[in-house]
Amino acid sequence: MKYLEKPIKEINDLLKKGTIKPIDLVEEAFERIESDKDLNAYITLNKEEALEKARELEGKEVDNLLFGIPIAIKDNILTKDLRTTAASHILDNFIPIYDATVVEKIKEKNMIIIGKTNMDEFAMGSSSRTSYFGAPKNPWNNNKISGGSSGGSATTIAARHVPFALGSDTGGSIRQPASYTGIVGMKPTYGRVSRYGVIAFASSLDQLGPMTQNVLNNALLLNVISGHDSHDMTSSHREVEDYTRLIGKDIKGKKIAVPKFLMSDIVDSEIIEKIESVIEMLKENGAVVDYVDMKYLDNAVTLYQIIAMGEASSNLARFDGIRYGLSAKDPKSHEDLYLETRREGFGKEVKRRIMVGSYLLSGDNAKTYYNKALSIRDDMATEFDKVFEKYDYVIGPTTTTTAYNLDDPMDDPSKSFMDDVLVIPVNMAGLPGLNIPVGFDKNHMPIGMHIIGNKFQEAEMYRLGSFIEKELDLDLNPKGGK
Amino acid sequence: MSKYIPTIGIEVHVELKTKTKIFSSSENGYGQMANSLVNEVDLGYPGTLPTLNEEVINLGIKAATILNCKIRKQMFFDRKNYFYPDNPKNYQITQNRTPIGYDGYVEIEDNGVKKKIYIEEMHIEEDTCKSTHRKDKTLLDFNRAGVPLIEIVTKPCMTSSHEAKLYLEKLKELLFYADVSDCKMEEGSMRADANVSIRKNESDPFGTKAEIKNIGSISNVGLSIEKEIERQTKLYDNGETFKEQTRRFDDKLGDTVLMRVKETGNDYRYFPEPDIPFVIITDEMIENVKKTIPMLPDERREVYKNLGVSDINTTKLVQNRSLSDYFNELLNEKINFQVASNLLLGDISAYLNKNEKLITDTTLSKDRFLELVKLMDDKTLTSKNLKDILDDILESDKSIKDIIKEKGIENITDDKEIREVIKTIIEANPESVNDYKNGHDRAIKFLMGQVMKETKGKVNPGLAMEILTEELK
Amino acid sequence: MKDRLTKEEVLHVADLARIKVNEEEIEKYQVELKQLLDDVEKVNDVVGYDEEILIAPWDHDADLRADEVGEMINKDAVLKNAPSHSGNYITVPVVIGESEGA
Repeated sequence: MKYLEKPIKEINDLLKKGTIKPIDLVEEAFERIESDKDLNAYITLNKEEALEKARELEGKEVDNLLFGIPIAIKDNILTKDLRTTAASHILDNFIPIYDATVVEKIKEKNMIIIGKTNMDEFAMGSSSRTSYFGAPKNPWNNNKISGGSSGGSATTIAARHVPFALGSDTGGSIRQPASYTGIVGMKPTYGRVSRYGVIAFASSLDQLGPMTQNVLNNALLLNVISGHDSHDMTSSHREVEDYTRLIGKDIKGKKIAVPKFLMSDIVDSEIIEKIESVIEMLKENGAVVDYVDMKYLDNAVTLYQIIAMGEASSNLARFDGIRYGLSAKDPKSHEDLYLETRREGFGKEVKRRIMVGSYLLSGDNAKTYYNKALSIRDDMATEFDKVFEKYDYVIGPTTTTTAYNLDDPMDDPSKSFMDDVLVIPVNMAGLPGLNIPVGFDKNHMPIGMHIIGNKFQEAEMYRLGSFIEKELDLDLNPKGGK
Repeated sequence: MSKYIPTIGIEVHVELKTKTKIFSSSENGYGQMANSLVNEVDLGYPGTLPTLNEEVINLGIKAATILNCKIRKQMFFDRKNYFYPDNPKNYQITQNRTPIGYDGYVEIEDNGVKKKIYIEEMHIEEDTCKSTHRKDKTLLDFNRAGVPLIEIVTKPCMTSSHEAKLYLEKLKELLFYADVSDCKMEEGSMRADANVSIRKNESDPFGTKAEIKNIGSISNVGLSIEKEIERQTKLYDNGETFKEQTRRFDDKLGDTVLMRVKETGNDYRYFPEPDIPFVIITDEMIENVKKTIPMLPDERREVYKNLGVSDINTTKLVQNRSLSDYFNELLNEKINFQVASNLLLGDISAYLNKNEKLITDTTLSKDRFLELVKLMDDKTLTSKNLKDILDDILESDKSIKDIIKEKGIENITDDKEIREVIKTIIEANPESVNDYKNGHDRAIKFLMGQVMKETKGKVNPGLAMEILTEELK
Repeated sequence: MKDRLTKEEVLHVADLARIKVNEEEIEKYQVELKQLLDDVEKVNDVVGYDEEILIAPWDHDADLRADEVGEMINKDAVLKNAPSHSGNYITVPVVIGESEGA
């Protein structure tokens, strides 16, 4: 039985006709996941509840395209009564008492939550290897990383376990693993999706987004999770449009900018060549493509270190062993409780980032560096505004390399950020960014293209993404056979 | 002991009178069961985000207005990072860089001399949870976590404990009258810290300061400042110095004690709060808030005096806000305001205190009160009469006339009738009349007694005395 | 220019962050934080920025919440999640020292 790989509209028809029931899909999803156990895509499976939910749906009208469809949720998104760990020991027994707003929305559509996906601890990392539960593996090559921080969601989608997953993206955490695993990943405009109930890493950069096998599914899930939320003051009031509405439409006359920095020698030549070939294809189909100079892109990683680490050091201060989560045994004093809980509970990388963030905000550093970073961040956003006055899209590669080996060394801290050098500017400016698979390297590891849109132009980005998807018509199933 | 010039600055935290907390919709309440007024935001649960209470901004605007502050039109919040068990997120959301109000003042009056106490800034922030220390553990109650506060910081511009007390009394009165806060120091809804330093001459730089934290009453603020000045004076006189430090006032010792010496400045790692967008304060918002500001104490005192209310009654009225509000409803009436204030502050206050009621809990409508004032003013009712019927007036809806009738109070208010009675009595008591005319004052009292006896106490004594004196001429 | 932070500087940061560091880690941070600072020095080299700051890419100003009481959570749920509690209270080992905050 291979219902889950069918186009969503076909599955929906089968459900409507009663040929299949939601429970068939749930059982199939668990069969797939269980036969791929060694991929380590999940931290927690929700099997009993998912089966129960599927049975519960049997009498109900199939009232939307996503009704009864299995979905995986990144484990930094709170699910009521379902363990949520952010891949950290400090939360490994944490059972949330409320649902994140996106989870409420998913439940309203009667999608079925299959489990909580593996990730870097508190989303801090770009290979998912900082997970307390061990790293997930890349379905294309089990010796390779699937990227991070949403590595588990990328893995489960690439491996065709389920058609839908949610990820979060602070500095590339949806798009980079999507690129490494050959799937479609969207980081929407900052404010498009509510952050309420998402364990914060860097509040001014975090955004949730869909991870799927194709553009249509991606847009369908964005339709569900978008919208204003009175619990999140930073969520936008913009009306939610139908993000599928431009899928399959023509790209003739569309103007595309390619920043030279994104195609410079920091990127592997194989990847550059692939992107160039896609650019040629787009030109042949009537798009206008210009190579442009953009300021500040090369500062993005530095700004990211200051801003993301600063915010993170503050956001993670709440994990102190008092109100929830891990708590050190028999502390001698409250200070001892703090120190021991955090020593035991946080992994190395998380501690490192908390130290870095605390340092960059301490004493005069806040004045010297943090404020300056916020000021340059403003200029960087303005620089994008200028480009979007003339262009519909900014494109480039998503990553500088394809997925690397799981056993590559982890101790170079700046390497981790350099993995995300091409995607971080988008978070800085609050723009939407989309990864579209565009081919493979010589080892048959996926290569992704990064489409950056102007704020709230997700539908336009799906237009370009779906066009590329259709034209290239790649076989993106690691096991082959589309 | 040598003479030094003290320099004092005061920081006050007041809890705002809102229904809900500053960043969550859970209830802002006092004296409830521990941890019963909380939601996941107040507890700093993972994934929670703040939502800003409109009323907090309104009360912030109000406070800034009555403290003569400039109001910031675009502001953001900052995170103040420090670990402490009463601080649920281990950061406090406050306003460090863009306080809602700045450059204001409060005017105090000391023996007829007016002085402005300058406000440096006032900002909005969240309160911490309440911790109670037991022998082996500390108990945390998060009901207070997230209660809205404003912190009001003066410039170091006071030079005596007396001024500091006057400032606090004035501040408390203003914030209470404007309905910004309950200002109950005993319940912690108003808390004060005092910064104290001394120096030899005005031209010297400020001396090393000590901050006395969380003082629980205005009188203790005064006391702790005095004690601190004394302590610093002794040190300097002995040629000693001290480090900048934080102290607290110990009630039992009646003195300040050292909490900690500041080795370096606190390192709060402030940065702008990314979870709350810019807050824009429009002119319209300010205008709307201004409309809700009632007449403030200084103006009340001015108005009452101009209406002929005695100084002592004016002071007493303004001390009792509900009576003062009641009194303010009468300002356009043509009545004897001294009589009206006497009524309110006398028998009516006594009744209210005894029955633990507010005047608004009684049946004394404005119209009935006006009637009562007139009856007292034209001497239709005696104070004794009033005592007899006051409970009825305050507890029933019956008209005052009916009440008077029911109680059988039928005062002879007719001049002629009284004059007739008096004439009869004068005729019947020639000796007394003679005595009076020979300068024996006691005689007139006897005659008055006779009048009262004859009328069974139903004449107004004042009126009767007037006529009696006339007839004796 | 010194090539590392002092041990005291690292310990100060560790104390602020409530992260326990051993001798080896202290040494590592002495170098690493300094390197990072050098990296970050680069922001000083960027020219052309003005005084405008971007705190977060908000697309609108703050909406204010009406002052109406909403749902609160059950006290039992609060206490159940708390590792240590007694009666109606969440507890911590007796707190020594005073709050640094306001």
